[in-house]
Amino acid sequence: MAEIACAGRAAREINAEIRRAIAAGEREVVVKDPGARHNIAVGILDPVTIRILGSVGYFCGGLIDGPRIEIDESAGWGLAESMMNGEIVVHGSVGNGAAAAIRGGTVVIHGDAAARLGVSIKGGTVVVAGNCGYMAGFMGQKGRIVVCGDAGDAFADSMYETVCFVGREIAGLGTDAVVEQPSADEITWLDFTLAQHLPGSERCGADFKKVVAGRKLWNFDKREWKVWQEAL
Amino acid sequence: MCGIVGFFAKQGDAQAEIGRTILGMLRALGCRGPDSAGVALFGAPDDNRFIVRVKLGESGGVESKAAQLAVHFPGVHGFSATAAYARFAVNGSTDLTRLSAAIEALDKDFEVVSIGHRLEIVKQTGSPDNLENTYGISRLKGTHALGHTRLSTESRVDLSHSQPFWSHGFPDLAIVHNGHITNYHQLRRRYEQRGVRFYTENDSEVVAIYLAGQLQEGGSLKDALERMLRDLDGSYSCLVATGGEFGFVKDPFALKPLVMTETDQFVAVATEEIAIRSALPGKYSVREAQVKEVRVWQR
Repeated sequence: MAEIACAGRAAREINAEIRRAIAAGEREVVVKDPGARHNIAVGILDPVTIRILGSVGYFCGGLIDGPRIEIDESAGWGLAESMMNGEIVVHGSVGNGAAAAIRGGTVVIHGDAAARLGVSIKGGTVVVAGNCGYMAGFMGQKGRIVVCGDAGDAFADSMYETVCFVGREIAGLGTDAVVEQPSADEITWLDFTLAQHLPGSERCGADFKKVVAGRKLWNFDKREWKVWQEAL
Repeated sequence: MCGIVGFFAKQGDAQAEIGRTILGMLRALGCRGPDSAGVALFGAPDDNRFIVRVKLGESGGVESKAAQLAVHFPGVHGFSATAAYARFAVNGSTDLTRLSAAIEALDKDFEVVSIGHRLEIVKQTGSPDNLENTYGISRLKGTHALGHTRLSTESRVDLSHSQPFWSHGFPDLAIVHNGHITNYHQLRRRYEQRGVRFYTENDSEVVAIYLAGQLQEGGSLKDALERMLRDLDGSYSCLVATGGEFGFVKDPFALKPLVMTETDQFVAVATEEIAIRSALPGKYSVREAQVKEVRVWQR
């Protein structure tokens, strides 16, 4: 295990040291006192574990493919942006645009997510133990978003094939978002996912609402002009 | 970009090291706003006097102007001049509108930057370190403070266009703003028709004018910030402070960052968490403010 201290150092140096440790064969890297610095552990492509003891700033774990990154406290904007695969676990809350445009892997947030969680998500799974803010799931194309608490306004706006699950209340649905009952298979998947990522959670898959696209915006039809007026 | 920071001590007398804390927070956000830096500091309350801070000129060579000001206002207390500013105290029952008009009539460069029982605004172009080197803001103690580092996008870079903004004529009200007020011109026209004077072309100035107007009508600061969500368009994370209150508002699209933490001792709010972590050691959790979130603390 390699330990990297952040005090007095720039993100570029810290990231270079993380990469050097991985290149030298380390499978676990511990990053100490990150002090909410930006751009930590971006673009890591190896199946290693990176434990960050504290908070991180913007873009942590962006563009990764394979590692598991665990953050003890909170994360700023753009967590896990465009990640291909791997796992990011945040024990605190996250800023805007967490898990935006991810293509695979899993993002687990034990606290709350701010605005635009999982916008334009193209695959993978996002699990939030707390609440999510405004406009989560906007334009989601594939993948799944699970919010155990409340969802904010404009939830699941203008989506393609992303499937969202909400455990409590939805402040407001976005354009073309439709609430459905989850299927038996989906309830099983939810129970499995909650047990795997939020062990100790007493939530039950059957309590969740499912939100998908109503598909009204997928093809333009002038007879549905009113729908488009509202969407645009 | 711009960086905004705020610190509010929840307890104790006015001896919290607000200058040192707010400077530490601002330094961490220097890279978000290299054009200018400024602070609004709220010291010990004294309703028997107002502290007046006057901009004498944009930079140096203003000693003769300080002397000119001192001659015209012989009755004031504790007159001092440092770099671009004169500072003095007047009786707590002074008519602030008349006083400001009299000061600003003396020289076209003069601008009353702040007046309050507690509020003092210090700002200038350059970095937070420059601000500290010129004015020694870290020495100042009090209860709460705001800070701003500016990256100018639409108006000029000088002392007057820097933040925090005081709402001229309304004592002890200061704001810092990160974002753009997109209906600024419309609002400005409306206020100017009512005779309100704008000192700059910075859209953030209208936030201070708007909030002062709302408070003058008798509402609470929380009500004013909630109405701001209806009346001001664009992107904004704003911090606002009065003599006894401290609060923030985040715009209806959550376009600008703002994080906060609250402990038994203090509230700290900043554009980025790095500002809070680098100035305030200890164990606490930080979270992003949600869309349309309004919070106000009192002491």
